[in-house]
Amino acid sequence: MAYADLREFLATLDRDGQLLRYSDPVNPEPDLAAAARATANLTDRGPALLFDDINGYEPGKGRVALNTVGSWPNHALMLGLDKNTTVKDQFFEFAGRWDAFPGPIERRDDAPWQEVTLTEGIDLFQLLPLFRLNSYDVGCYIDKAAVISRDPDDPDNFGKQNVGIYRIQVKDKDRLGIQPLAAHDIGLHLQRAEERGENLPVAIALGNEPVITTVAGMPLAYDQSEYEMAAAIQGAPYRITKAPVTGFDVPWGSEVVIEGEIIAGEREIEGPFGEFTGHYSGARRQPVIKIHRVMHRRNPIFEHLYLGMPWTEMDYTLALNTSVLLYRQLKAEFPEVAAVNAMYTQGLLGIISVKQRFGGFAKAVGMRAMTVPHGLAYCKVIILVDEDVDPFNLAQVMWALSVHYHPLHDTVTIPNLSVLALDPSSDPAGITHKVVLDATTPVAPEERGHYSQVVGNPEGTADWENIIKGLLK
Amino acid sequence: MNDTTVNDTICPRCDAENVRVLTTSPVPGRWTMYVCDTCIYSWRSTEPRSATDPLAYPAEFKIDPADIPSIPAIPTVPPRRR
Repeated sequence: MAYADLREFLATLDRDGQLLRYSDPVNPEPDLAAAARATANLTDRGPALLFDDINGYEPGKGRVALNTVGSWPNHALMLGLDKNTTVKDQFFEFAGRWDAFPGPIERRDDAPWQEVTLTEGIDLFQLLPLFRLNSYDVGCYIDKAAVISRDPDDPDNFGKQNVGIYRIQVKDKDRLGIQPLAAHDIGLHLQRAEERGENLPVAIALGNEPVITTVAGMPLAYDQSEYEMAAAIQGAPYRITKAPVTGFDVPWGSEVVIEGEIIAGEREIEGPFGEFTGHYSGARRQPVIKIHRVMHRRNPIFEHLYLGMPWTEMDYTLALNTSVLLYRQLKAEFPEVAAVNAMYTQGLLGIISVKQRFGGFAKAVGMRAMTVPHGLAYCKVIILVDEDVDPFNLAQVMWALSVHYHPLHDTVTIPNLSVLALDPSSDPAGITHKVVLDATTPVAPEERGHYSQVVGNPEGTADWENIIKGLLK
Repeated sequence: MNDTTVNDTICPRCDAENVRVLTTSPVPGRWTMYVCDTCIYSWRSTEPRSATDPLAYPAEFKIDPADIPSIPAIPTVPPRRR
C-alpha cells in the first residue's frame, strides 16, 4: 500500500475512524499544541487532528494537520496494515520490508506543488498557520519537513543526496534557523560546503505522505537513498520530482516545497526548543537558511508535529525505524537476537530479547548495542530478556526484571561513554555512564537462582486465545 | 489582550528595545507577530502574558544580550580548504 500524498493518507485515516476534523474556531496558541498534547496524553490509539478554522486565517484556507502518525493504529495504516495490528507484528513487517532496499523510484515532472510559485514577497506566515509548540520555544518551528541536500564534493551522487528531518526555527518571513549537527548527513554536506567557501543549497518539503517522513528519521548509511528505502517500506516505487532551482529530488506529493541555501560561515542564536527528551534544548548559535523560492498547492495543509514529554507523535514515527535498525545490526552478528524494542526516547533505553548461548552471552549483546553507530548517541540503559519474553510487552519485561535480574550479578556499568548532548543527565553534556541490566535466565556455566519450575500456560491456551479474539471482534 | 495593549517595544526574553513587527494576520486585525532582532525571540499579540510581557516572562528562560556572542556555535565553522 502506497499513499500518493498526505491528503490520500488523511482520507484513509478518515475511513478507518482515525481522523478527527475540528472546525470550530481555534487560536494558533495555545489551542493547536494543547490539542495534540491532549491526544497523546489520552491514548496510544488516538486519531490524527485536522483544524480548518484558525484565528487570523480564512476558514478552510489555513489548515493544520497534527498527530497524523501519532498512534499505533495510524502507524499500522501508514504501513497499509489492519489498524489493529500489534506493535510486535508491525515490527517484524517493517524488518521484512527493509530487506527490499533499495526499492525503485519513479520520476515525474507534474508535481501538485508546482501549482503556485513565489519568488518575491515571500512570507511563510501568510501561507502556513505557523504556531508556537511549547510555551518557552523561542518562536515558531517547522519540525516535520523533509530537508533535502547534496554532497557538494559529489553533487551528482543520488545515494549521497540526503533526506532528513531537522528542527527549523522560522526566524523571519523568509529566513530560517536549522540544526544540522556534525553527526548528521546534512552536517557533513554543510561542512564540505563551508570548507569550499560556498553556501549549501537546500530544498525543504512540507506536508508529505507518512513513509518518507518515517524514513527521513532513519539513521541510514551516508550513501543510502531515503527514497529507495521509502520504496522498500511502502512496497511500491517512490515518486519524486526535481525542484527547479536546486535540481534536488523532492517528494512528488508534497504540499509545499521551499528552496534556499544555508549561508556559509553564518551562525546565529537559535532555541530554546522543547525537545523529545521532555526538556528544553537551551540556545546555541546555529546555521541560517535564506529562502529564495516557495512552491505550493493552493490552500496547502500545514502538517506539524507536537513534541515534548514522551510519548508524542515523534515517539511513534521513530519507534520501529530505530528498533529495526538495531535489530538488524545485532542480528547480523548474533542470530540469537529475537527482537529489539528501542522506542524509549529514541533508544536511550532499549530492551533486547535474546536466546543465551552460554553464561554472560546476553551481557555481551547488550554491550554490543552500545557500540553500533546509533548506540554511540543512545542505548544508555539496555535491558536483556529471554527470547520467549516479548520486549514490546512491558508487563512481561517488568516480570523478567523483577524475578530474573540480580543486582549483584546482572548489572554492568560502563563509564564515560558518548551520548547525545540533549540527554539532560549527561555530564558533561554528551558523556554518560551506561548500564546493561541482564534479566535473562542464567545459563551454564553461570548457574544460580531457582528457575527450574516455571508456571507454563494451561494446555489449550493458544486455541482459547484465538476463540476469545474471534468473539471480541 | 488585543493589539492595542500588547507589548510591542521590549523583548520579553532579553529586554532589548530592538523589536519590530514580523508580520500580521492574513485576515486583517486578528493578530500581529513581533520579533526581537537581538535574540530572535518572536511572539504573537494573542498569546498569554507569559509569552508577551517582559515582567511575566519566566526568569529561567530570560537571557542577557551580552551573553549571546559567547553562546557555543553548533556546528563550528570549519577552516576553508586551500
